[in-house]
Formats: sequence, C-alpha cells, structure tokens
Amino acid sequence: MVGTPIDVIPYIRGVQLVLIGYNGYTKGSRIENDKIVREEIVRATSRVRNHMENIFDIQFREGNISLARAAKRCMEECDYLVEDVNKAASGMEHAFLSGQHSPSNKDLKKLIKHDHEVIEMITKAVNIANSSEHSMATEDGNSKQLVMQTTQMITSCRGFFGARMNILSGLKSKKKRK
Amino acid sequence: MSNYRWRDSPDTIARLVNADKIQTMSSQQVLLKPNEACALIVDGRVGDILTETLLKSMAGGFTRWLGDKVGVTANDRRLLFAMTGPMDYWIPFEGQIANGEAVKGFANLRLRMNLEDVPKLLNYFANNDPTLTREGLIGIIATEVRARVVTPCLASCSNAADLRSAMFLERFEMTAESEMRNLLSNLGFTMLKAFPITNPTDMEKVAEHRAKVQAQMEGNEVNVEAQLAHFSQTEALTLARIEVETNVARAKARGQVTVELESELKELRAQEAKWDSEINYERNKMEIRVDEADAKTKRAMDMFAQVQAKKADRIANQQNFQQQRMDSQNDFQQKMMEMAAENGALTPEVMQEMLRQQTAQKAVDVGRTGGVNSSAKVCSCGTVLQPTWKACPNCGSPIV
Repeated sequence: MVGTPIDVIPYIRGVQLVLIGYNGYTKGSRIENDKIVREEIVRATSRVRNHMENIFDIQFREGNISLARAAKRCMEECDYLVEDVNKAASGMEHAFLSGQHSPSNKDLKKLIKHDHEVIEMITKAVNIANSSEHSMATEDGNSKQLVMQTTQMITSCRGFFGARMNILSGLKSKKKRK
Repeated sequence: MSNYRWRDSPDTIARLVNADKIQTMSSQQVLLKPNEACALIVDGRVGDILTETLLKSMAGGFTRWLGDKVGVTANDRRLLFAMTGPMDYWIPFEGQIANGEAVKGFANLRLRMNLEDVPKLLNYFANNDPTLTREGLIGIIATEVRARVVTPCLASCSNAADLRSAMFLERFEMTAESEMRNLLSNLGFTMLKAFPITNPTDMEKVAEHRAKVQAQMEGNEVNVEAQLAHFSQTEALTLARIEVETNVARAKARGQVTVELESELKELRAQEAKWDSEINYERNKMEIRVDEADAKTKRAMDMFAQVQAKKADRIANQQNFQQQRMDSQNDFQQKMMEMAAENGALTPEVMQEMLRQQTAQKAVDVGRTGGVNSSAKVCSCGTVLQPTWKACPNCGSPIV
C-alpha cells in the first residue's frame, strides 16, 4: 500500500485551504480527490469567465470592440479549459484488473504538487481577471493588458492541466513480466 | 437492480423525473456519464449535483417502498437530469437588410450547461413539460434571438455582401453573447458560440445566375479559342506536311531534271565539242585559204609593185626625156629667137609661127603619152591592166 509522502504534506495543506475534503489521494479516495480538484478548476474558471463577461458586455455596448474582442477571446479560452477539465481522464479505481500501473509514491508526490500549482495558477488568473475588471472600472488604461494576461494564464492552465492528465490517465502501463 | 435510462432520444436535453412515480420491484440505478448531470431535489431543496458516477438505488425497489410506508424517506424526491456538454441549436429566421432585400437563414447557437447551473432548469420545468428537447429550447429562445440579435444585425447590413463579411459574423456573435445572456443564464445555459447562416438573397441569386452565365460564356469562348487554336494547329500541320511533301517531290523532280539536264548537257557538250572541232576545222581551212589568198595577193602586190616601179621608171625616163627634149627645144627656140632678133628677122609672123610649132610639138608629146593610156585594159575588179600582164594582180583572174 502506498501511503501519503510526508514531504508533500505542506502542499496538501495548501490545497486543503481551498478545497475542503482534499486529502492527497489517499487509498480509496483518489477519484474523489481528482474530482474535487477538477471541480475547483472549473469553478475558478467560471469566475474568470464571469469577470470577462462583465468586461465584454460593457465594452461591447460602449463600442470598444477591441477590448470586447479580447474579453471574448478570454471567455472562449475559459470554455476550452472547462471542457478540457470536464472531459479529462480521472484514473481507474481498480488498477490491478484494468491493467493499469498503480501510482507510486513518486507519482503521488508529483500529482499533489501539480494540483497545488494548478490551483495556484488558476487562482492567479482569477486575481488578474478581477484586476482587469477593476482596471476597467477605474479607467487606468491597463484593462486590455490585464485581459490578455488573463487569457495567457488560462492558456497556460490548459497546458499545465494536460501534464496532470498524463499521471492520472494511466499512461504508464504495467510492465510485462517475461 | 435495473438500469434507468433518462434519455431515449438525442434531442432530449433535460428531464425532470419524479422518483416517487417510479414503482418497480427492483431498485433503479442510473449511470451518469461525464456530459450528463443529475441534480437531486429533495423535499423542495436542491441537493447534490452529481456527474460521472453510478447513482445507485435512485428509485424503486422494496426497501424504498417500505421506507415510504414507514415514513422514513423524503416526502418529495425529484431527479433533474441534464446534458452538460455543448450542443448546437438551429434557429430559423427571416428578416430584411437595409436595402430591403429579404434574408432567410438559421442562427446557430452552441450552448453548454455548467454543473452548478443544472438546477436552474427548474425555471423551465415550472411551466413546461418535464422533458426539455432541442425543439422546446429553440421555441423558448427563438423569439428573443430574432428580436435581439438577428434583426439588429441584419439592419446594420447595407447589402447582401455585408452578410458574408467577417465583421458581420463577429458582430452577430458578440451581439448574441451580450443580448442573450439574460435568458440563457436564467435557463442555466452558457453560450459558447453563435453564428448566422443565411440563404442566398434574391439579388445574390441574380448575381449568381449572372456569374454562371458569364462563366458559361467565357467557357464557351475559351472552348472556341481552343477549337480555333486546334484548327490553326491542324492547318499549320497540314501545310507543313504538304510543304514537306512538295519539297520532297520537288527534290525528287529536281533530281530527275538534274539527271536529264546533265545527260542533255553531256550531249550538248558533245555536240559543242563536235561543232568546235568543225568550226576549228573550217576556221583552219579558211585561214589556210586566207593565207593562200594573202600569199597570192602579196605575190600579186609584189608583182604590181614591181610593175609600178618599172612604170614609174619608164614614166620618169619619158619625163626626163621629154624634159630634156623640151629644154633642148626651148634652148633651140631661144637661140633662134636671139638669132632672129640679131638679124632683125624677129617679126610677129615669125613669133606666131614659132608658137604654133611649139604648140604642135606639145600636142604631139601629149598625144604620145595619152596614146599609151588609151590602149590599156581594165579588169572586172577595176584594176588597170598592163598589156604585158597575163592575170589580174588584184583578183587573180586571168587576162584573155
């Protein structure tokens, strides 16, 4: 049985600040933990999208098509990320029967660290999106830059989330014994 | 345990199921796939929203029936199933653009439902059938799409070409995103994409027909040009072939003619050589004859010259003789005159007699010389012949 590695406990605590119920993929709750992480990513992405919707609506009605277009692009990127996350692989419950390689301690460490970083990244994106809306409200002229920065962050999240799937989706197949 | 199927058609988007109505001996379970969600509404409260799971003992079965009878289960249990994945909705529309052209087409809306938005569908099921299909949703949103999105966007197009521009598509999508959020949010949908598909307008059909006719005309023109080019090629080819054949025939004929001419030339050269030899023969013959004649002439001329020389000598002798005689006579007459003068006998009668005798003497002298000339013969060629000659020295004809 693979236990939770001690050196990733700080990461688990960090994630637990955001996700109640997250326990670092302990035996029997791996799929639940995966689901919690994904739902959090979707939820955070929805927050980003909501900010962008506000920016888009206002700018479109005011005729500032350039900024509205940037916000729309960010919304589309959010939709892509949500779809990626919703349709992501979550690993199998019965690795022995499925022929999958059971995650090792090393894999779990990587996974937990990865969760922490993804959630940090998406949280950062939420903050930037919030800042962009605030910038639009205060008319300090940085709105477009912040919107595009948010888009970039969401795109990075999409890419980063792909690495998580590599660990969970059981790409490492069982070694065949000769 | 039997499997419950909440969706039996691809057009079904959502369904509100009253779990209390499912009365079966075996308990029901439902499998929720990643694009499906189920919101549990228990006693009027929204409970969990589930997805990617096997929902066991959702309804039916003996234990649940027993619990209902005993009163340990909820009074009202409803299950709200929904599709969360993106789905396309085609909304037909008709409208007019700014220049009055009628436009027909479809507005495509791609909608998705977030997991936490599934309970919002209760807004729909509050006043409608418990099954939401694609047609049902289109029926709800179509009017607003036409009024808020299609009509304003079409009105901003001045002609049919504007309908095909990227700007129109972008404006349509942005307008749909902005204007339809209220309704879609109330129903729990999120719009991912929107775009219009318009049928060709009447003017576009006219333009299309014109373009087709033009293309056909140009195609015919190209065909004609190609045909003409083919004909000209064929003509050029035929002419070239004829020319080549002619050249070959001409060359052959030229060869034959050359051969014939060469044979004729040989004959002519042979004839020429023959004539040359004959001419040379005749020329030589003539030259010989001319030389012979020249020799005769020369000999005659030489003989004539000798005769003339002798004649000149004789005439000179005669003239000398006559001169001497005249001189002696003159001396004599002078002496006679002087004697007569000394003797005083020089009278006019003596003078007259002396002149008369002198004249007579002269007449005798002239008669002597003139008598020789009158007796000379003349040849047919005009040469004066001497009495001693036997042939004419000029023409060689004998003197009879």
